[in-house]
Amino acid sequence: MPAERLLDDNVLLEELRNGSSEAVEALFERFYGKIYGLAMSILKNESDAEEATQDVFLTVFQKAHTFKGNSALYSWIYRICVNACLMRLRGKRRQETVSIEEFMPVFSEDGMHTSPIEDWSKEVERKMLDKELGKVIKKFTDDLSEKYRVVFVLSDVEGLSNEETAQILGLTVPAVKSRLHRARLYLREQLTRYLREGKTE
Amino acid sequence: MNCKELVYLLGDYLDGSMEDQLREDLDAHIVMCEPCTNFLKTYDATKLICRQVRLTEIPEEFRERLNSFVIQKAKEHHKGLEKYKKLAAEEQKRNVENLLKAFQEQRLAPSLSLLFDTHRDRCETCGGFLRYLNGGGEPKPCPEEIEEHLSEFLEALPAGEEPYLS
Repeated sequence: MPAERLLDDNVLLEELRNGSSEAVEALFERFYGKIYGLAMSILKNESDAEEATQDVFLTVFQKAHTFKGNSALYSWIYRICVNACLMRLRGKRRQETVSIEEFMPVFSEDGMHTSPIEDWSKEVERKMLDKELGKVIKKFTDDLSEKYRVVFVLSDVEGLSNEETAQILGLTVPAVKSRLHRARLYLREQLTRYLREGKTE
Repeated sequence: MNCKELVYLLGDYLDGSMEDQLREDLDAHIVMCEPCTNFLKTYDATKLICRQVRLTEIPEEFRERLNSFVIQKAKEHHKGLEKYKKLAAEEQKRNVENLLKAFQEQRLAPSLSLLFDTHRDRCETCGGFLRYLNGGGEPKPCPEEIEEHLSEFLEALPAGEEPYLS
């Protein structure tokens, strides 16, 4: 376990600048999973995500002296990560993704739900730790286009505020909210279909 | 308020950023509408479950590889910095030695000469040392804190201006 003082962003950065190997360890332990996860969610390819993760750490070392501490360390690092991934994505053929429109709720002309809405919230609570469900959600998330996926991962998986996500991605807060909402509607519908199939089997 | 409007406002409804009046309208609708009650519950459950899911498992082998990469690079980076700092320190030492030599031999350009004289009369740290050299004392190694002060003189020199008289 890294020393407690290294949990303070400014102390961690200061010791990194001084070349403390303990600080390098602490930085690594705290962020490698998050960086890799975020990189995977953007790049969807293990070797690309690995290289992007390496790039992020290199950039952090090189720029450690420019970190001013007016944003949180993690949000600075996520921003570096998003940029590193977008650089890699440039020029690559975009992978086919599902059309999110197919999963948006449908309403009648007077704005009523056209199909019955089942309440599966209790069922999913019981399956919270279910590995199978985890895999399914990952698959659904992977199928989202990058535009929605990145926002969703930062906000709903990493738990950042809309403001932080907006800052990291260079989007407005309303744009973040709208993408996040659509991603959740999509996932809700995917989960509905998945759980319904499970019942009929 | 209808179901369609409610669905599109759910995000604000759940994150608490909604105005009270609108919230009351929504609450009124939800109480009466079973599909919307269920939609709200499952939307919220979607958010919850996604927070529990670890989207990416990192293979242990990858962790090891990444860890040694990062530690190696951090060392190299630090070494590079140290080397640069050492070179910079050596350069500063050389510069100040030349400066002091020129000071003693009265070869300083007028602007530098002025800086030296003013500094000698005002700075408690450097005054004694500079007066000693002025008085024709044998050159001796320049203490670090004095070196710091004097090296700033060179930086204060306008670009393109020669520090020494030819």
